[in-house]
Amino acid sequence: MNLLEYALLAGLFYGLYFALVGVGLNLIFGVMRIINLAHGDFLMLGAYGAFYLYHLLGWNPLWAIPIELVVFLLIGLPLYYLLVPRLQKSGDPEMLSFILFFGLSQVIEAAAVFVFSNNQRSIPASVFGGAPINIAGQVFPVSWIVSAAVGLAGIGLIYAYLYHSRPGRATRAIMAERSEAAATGISVNRISALAFGIGIAAAALAGIFSPFMIGAIEPSMGIGITVISFAIIVIGSLGNPIGTLLGGLIYGEALMLMQTYLASWSELLPYVLLILILLVRPTGLLERAVRSA
Amino acid sequence: MLRKLVLRVVLAAVATAVSLGAWASPSVIKIGTLYASSGYFSQASTRQYDGLKFWVRQINAKGGVYVKAFGKRIPVKLIAYNDQSSTMLAASLYNRLITQDRVHTLVADYGSVLTSVAVPLAQEHRIVLFDETGTSGKFFRPENRNRYIVLTGLPTSSQWPKVLAKFMHSKGIRRVAILYAANDWSGSQAKTLNQTLKQDGVDVVYFHSVPDSTTSYSTILHSIAEYKPEAVAEFGYSDNDIAFVQDYANSGLYFPMVFIPNPALHFEVVRKAVGNKALRYIYSYVAPPIIRYNREVTYGPTLNEFKAAYAKAGGKNVDLSTVAGFNTGLIIQKALATAPKFTQESIRDAIDKFSGKIFTLDGLFKVNRYGAQVGEFLPVGQVLPTKTGVALKAVFPSESAVAKAVYPAPRNK
Repeated sequence: MNLLEYALLAGLFYGLYFALVGVGLNLIFGVMRIINLAHGDFLMLGAYGAFYLYHLLGWNPLWAIPIELVVFLLIGLPLYYLLVPRLQKSGDPEMLSFILFFGLSQVIEAAAVFVFSNNQRSIPASVFGGAPINIAGQVFPVSWIVSAAVGLAGIGLIYAYLYHSRPGRATRAIMAERSEAAATGISVNRISALAFGIGIAAAALAGIFSPFMIGAIEPSMGIGITVISFAIIVIGSLGNPIGTLLGGLIYGEALMLMQTYLASWSELLPYVLLILILLVRPTGLLERAVRSA
Repeated sequence: MLRKLVLRVVLAAVATAVSLGAWASPSVIKIGTLYASSGYFSQASTRQYDGLKFWVRQINAKGGVYVKAFGKRIPVKLIAYNDQSSTMLAASLYNRLITQDRVHTLVADYGSVLTSVAVPLAQEHRIVLFDETGTSGKFFRPENRNRYIVLTGLPTSSQWPKVLAKFMHSKGIRRVAILYAANDWSGSQAKTLNQTLKQDGVDVVYFHSVPDSTTSYSTILHSIAEYKPEAVAEFGYSDNDIAFVQDYANSGLYFPMVFIPNPALHFEVVRKAVGNKALRYIYSYVAPPIIRYNREVTYGPTLNEFKAAYAKAGGKNVDLSTVAGFNTGLIIQKALATAPKFTQESIRDAIDKFSGKIFTLDGLFKVNRYGAQVGEFLPVGQVLPTKTGVALKAVFPSESAVAKAVYPAPRNK
């Protein structure tokens, strides 16, 4: 019983964090209908950003949050104009995006090897200070609590942006029907660029906490993260940011339960969940919600 | 009659040509190898390659390697390709080295995974494979009937934990948990430790594998804690170890002894990743250059001499891989200096001749008849606090120990 309680609570923290890992990928897909296969690589770059701020300047990873949000938003905006409008003009942007962003992923990884080398890096979890925290009789690292809190805050901010801001409402209009949104005078490219930048910034934000939740940082970590993110957003529903929260929680709980009771098989988890969802409910768990959004 | 005479002359000429060809001295000794500049193994692979390149530079500065079969020094040419940590690419490049470049000796890339594809190729083409760090026991099974492999550095991975088991026994540890990543290298160590401990009457209370990709160990650590072990041994690659130690340090759990293998191989990488505090009192193996063979060395430079020469040449970060690469060069050098004929069979026989008789900066070089390294062994070390941080020091067995083990580890480290 003790182990089960621990696994469920740990799964909750992991779930909240993994929701943040997936939300950027989902936002970009929801708005542009393209799959950013370089998503995990932007997360990796965010992780390196936090690593170097800590090791070179001694800055707590929490200081990396505002810096990386701005930097990666600024990277995302021109990257959108460089890549996405051309993709949208093609006959099959969804399929071509796979190829283009896979290429981008490879370029980022190769550049990261060149710049950062292949050494595994990490940030000591003690950076958040203090002893582990006791919650409901179970002890958890402070870094998990912080990562989960940032994950929840990140999802909350994206929710607030989408449902309580003018550009957010325009974003949802584009998600519902791109051409109709354009017909009503919405600047589709400007709003999409903003969503693209936010999606990449969200990935980088998740990257800041990856040393505590995912493990050592290395240039090749991106592709695995992208696969997990993809599973999470498919579970929740492609294009639905709120569904990502549900997808993240399901993934987190399933991962911790698997590690507790069937540790040897836990690697299969994202793929098993993907197959199950595609067989049982191919539109994802919250498909209806996205249509009524 | 005339036809017969002509035929005899032609046959004699061909035989002489073949004979001369076999014995003609090559202008260079071609050594073929692979390295990985990217991918999972790149860090260790490039350092191993650096060590081998350094040996080539040093030997060429002396006029080349002495080849007994020709009674003279011949310059060494290193032919190397980048396999990008891909076994598929490595297989094709090893084949290219053997069939296109026609190298005289073949040196494997780092580790068992990238060596695995070279083993059958070398056996098929009957060329001796100098295996630097591919320690999988599978390569050296008697049923393979493979004479064309020589493990130059570390002992086979299944031998590594034998000293560790003795250490646990010496400390009176009765309950041990073993966790390992599902790969050959980690699995063979875990299985050996499990078997050896059981033979010693120690209760292995937890014995489970996790996927290679596991980077979160907190729930697993809590599962282990349920069994109340006195020692926990985790076997995995360095990213597994880093995550394991991070999660242990932050779990609030306490085990009197925790063992991980990678500080022995990449101490600075692990230390920088997890920090000094998390690594304190953790146990690991100890291998060169942390264990320093100086007085014992009978062939090639001592470890201190090597480090000084390497640094003078601009080399940085001497680690186990660098030593392994350089040591392989030394073994090739000794083999060529011993073999009476310049043939693969003669080179392999020569290795058997000096096996157990030379001590290099990497330890005693001794291989069994299947090419497995049996001379070297890995003492047990512990990460102990120093004035400037932490250091991995040998603590067992007594003949290798430079410090006393702190067992049980302090609760508030």
